[in-house]
Amino acid sequence: MTTPSHPHGPHDIGGEPAGPIDTTDHGMQFWEKQANALRGALTLAGIVKTDELRRAAESLPEYGRLAYFEITTSALRTLLLEKGLMTEAELEAKMDEIRRRFNVPDEMESPVKQKGKR
Amino acid sequence: MRNEGARSTYTPAPGHRFNVGDRVKVKRLFPPGHRRTPAYIRGKRGEIERICGAFPNPEELAYGFDGEPRKILYRVRFAQRHVWPEYRGPERDVIEMEIFEHWLEPDGQPGAP
Amino acid sequence: MSSFDHYAKRPHEHGHSHGHDHGHDAHAPAGEEPGGPPSEYEIMSRAMQELMEARGLVTAEQIQRRIELFDEEFPYRGGRVVARAWTDPAFKHRLLADGRAACLEMGIELEAERLIAVENTPEVHNVIVCTLCSCYPRALLGMPPTWYKSRNYRSRVVFEPRAVLREFGTTLPDSVIVRVHDSNADMRYVVVPMRPKGTEGWSEERLAGILTRDTLVGVTVPKAG
Repeated sequence: MTTPSHPHGPHDIGGEPAGPIDTTDHGMQFWEKQANALRGALTLAGIVKTDELRRAAESLPEYGRLAYFEITTSALRTLLLEKGLMTEAELEAKMDEIRRRFNVPDEMESPVKQKGKR
Repeated sequence: MRNEGARSTYTPAPGHRFNVGDRVKVKRLFPPGHRRTPAYIRGKRGEIERICGAFPNPEELAYGFDGEPRKILYRVRFAQRHVWPEYRGPERDVIEMEIFEHWLEPDGQPGAP
Repeated sequence: MSSFDHYAKRPHEHGHSHGHDHGHDAHAPAGEEPGGPPSEYEIMSRAMQELMEARGLVTAEQIQRRIELFDEEFPYRGGRVVARAWTDPAFKHRLLADGRAACLEMGIELEAERLIAVENTPEVHNVIVCTLCSCYPRALLGMPPTWYKSRNYRSRVVFEPRAVLREFGTTLPDSVIVRVHDSNADMRYVVVPMRPKGTEGWSEERLAGILTRDTLVGVTVPKAG
């Protein structure tokens, strides 16, 4: 197994003990297909690089707690903010607008809103 | 396990330090930042399986640089029993991955380059 | 909108009688749609998409096109390529030498720079993983299955591949070398399985039908059924 005393990122998990594998493919929800397509389109357009997306994913403090598309979405958020392609305020406003479209209550826990409050 | 005639294509790698069959050791370093050398293989000994070519350095691309000058990438083969002290499978089982030249040094064992 | 139902479109139907290890990759995984409200991450993703569309950096058409490629095109390519390799030894040699160029011969342009095809033989069985993230030849095989992206697969297949293969119903004798490939840099990988007995004279299309995604990653072997 890996030597636990040596520092390495939360993604660098080869060799760590883990449980049985759920060998069923659970496919993708539609939003995940869209997220995947968004990432691909932005990468093909040269707006973000795959290596940057990986680095942003690896840097997420909550990496170990997130599912795959939650990681990729958070990583893309990091990069788009970093590159000045959107601001936190713009993102928050757009997310509020989308919540209203879906009729989602505004009191739902939002990591983005919580960050904005600090 | 030589795949004669089955070396996958590679762009030229002028000045490549290692050749197919050379015994190498992955540097036992743990620098911060984006690295594509898995932690479990650092410090391990293997042999060059093929020369993949020269590619922009992902460790630089990850931060928005252009990754130039290119770094030479190799596929390296390791015996599983040399990677995992408790490997329980047959001794001929192997694991292979791509390692950049700057992560490799000659293996100090006899017969190393 | 079809989800990952490419197996349902194949001419060779996989019945339940073919055994458990054949079953779990023979059935279309329907995208699991929860009944409830969208999650924060779904909302975040849609928000970023709309912001980037408003900035003119991507278009809705580009996104839609990419979804279609992943649903309708990419998942079918790998089986076709390997089926050709099974029927045409010279093509197989070219595939093993330069995966990307061989795919181009068939009009398949991959997005990765390099494809390395690794051949199963009576002496060697290959299995693919990306421990660091989930690198996968997407333009050849479509999206990776959820298990490929899972923590447990990524962490365990490198140090106990035989136990992992058994979880997929694949048992290999000790006389067969297991060769794990951790695709951690610029190469992408596809397994060329051994062609099973009982497929003599089959068309490429019929052969492609038994070359399921799981056989091309190396966790199962194809069966003539």
